[in-house]
Amino acid sequence: MFHYTVHTSLDVVEEKISGVGKALADQRELYLGLLYPTEDYKVYGYVTNSKVKFVIVVDSSNTSLRDNEIRSMFRKLHNSFTDVMCNPFYNPGDPIQSKAFDSIVSTMMVQAC
Amino acid sequence: RCPQTERAASTNSELFTLTYGALVTQLCKDYENDEEVNKQLDKMGYNIGVRLIEDFLARSSVGRCHDFRETADVIAKVAFKMYLGITPSVTNWSPAGDEFSLILESNPLVDFVELPDNHSNLVYSSLLCGVLRGALEMVQMAVDVRFAQDTLRGDNVTEIRMKFIKRIEENLPAGDE
Repeated sequence: MFHYTVHTSLDVVEEKISGVGKALADQRELYLGLLYPTEDYKVYGYVTNSKVKFVIVVDSSNTSLRDNEIRSMFRKLHNSFTDVMCNPFYNPGDPIQSKAFDSIVSTMMVQAC
Repeated sequence: RCPQTERAASTNSELFTLTYGALVTQLCKDYENDEEVNKQLDKMGYNIGVRLIEDFLARSSVGRCHDFRETADVIAKVAFKMYLGITPSVTNWSPAGDEFSLILESNPLVDFVELPDNHSNLVYSSLLCGVLRGALEMVQMAVDVRFAQDTLRGDNVTEIRMKFIKRIEENLPAGDE
């Protein structure tokens, strides 16, 4: 079920980043904010200057998560992702199986609820 | 001062870590056998060690060590600091004073590294064993160096165990392995 939501949100991400003008071209990262609300979920997007896309799906009933908390979650994800990329045993494109990455994501998810 | 010495202090450690990682993973692809990769890393380390000792002795100007305890201190406090920027602690001396442990809290070679499940026998930092062995051989000490504990394989710390085997006669030339 999440896969569908995430795939749709990737289309929204593509739309947003292709519409961005030169003004935002020097930002290292693009926090895209709320991509679109659905009945059950809020979907947030973030793109790096290396074109890696992160999507966070939050239950609509969670109203306590603030924008700056979401931004900080994306930053943590970005940093963890960079560490995964630096593992010489990781092949870019493979699903991430890093214990360190999983533990950071789990901690973030627990904190957000 | 020559350009290499000027440059040395500001080398980026990430490039060093990634270079070592590329080396290890390439060996894994080439040999497809963890034990063999460990051996190759040790061999490469040995070839580095027999050369690095000259640089070390020139830059540190330490004198000849009087006993193995002094050797241990010089390795931990001078050599590791100079080349890897870390200072392991020296512990677990054998009663005979011929064996000790180096405990590494951190190791720049393994930053960001996570061993996949199919490489459980890989001793990732084996290069270090060879370096120590080769370097000490050039100062007439035959030693055995191995990893007793490894954070990459689930241990809490990384522990290198060094054992003094014997003095080497001065007139035997050391060759590459």
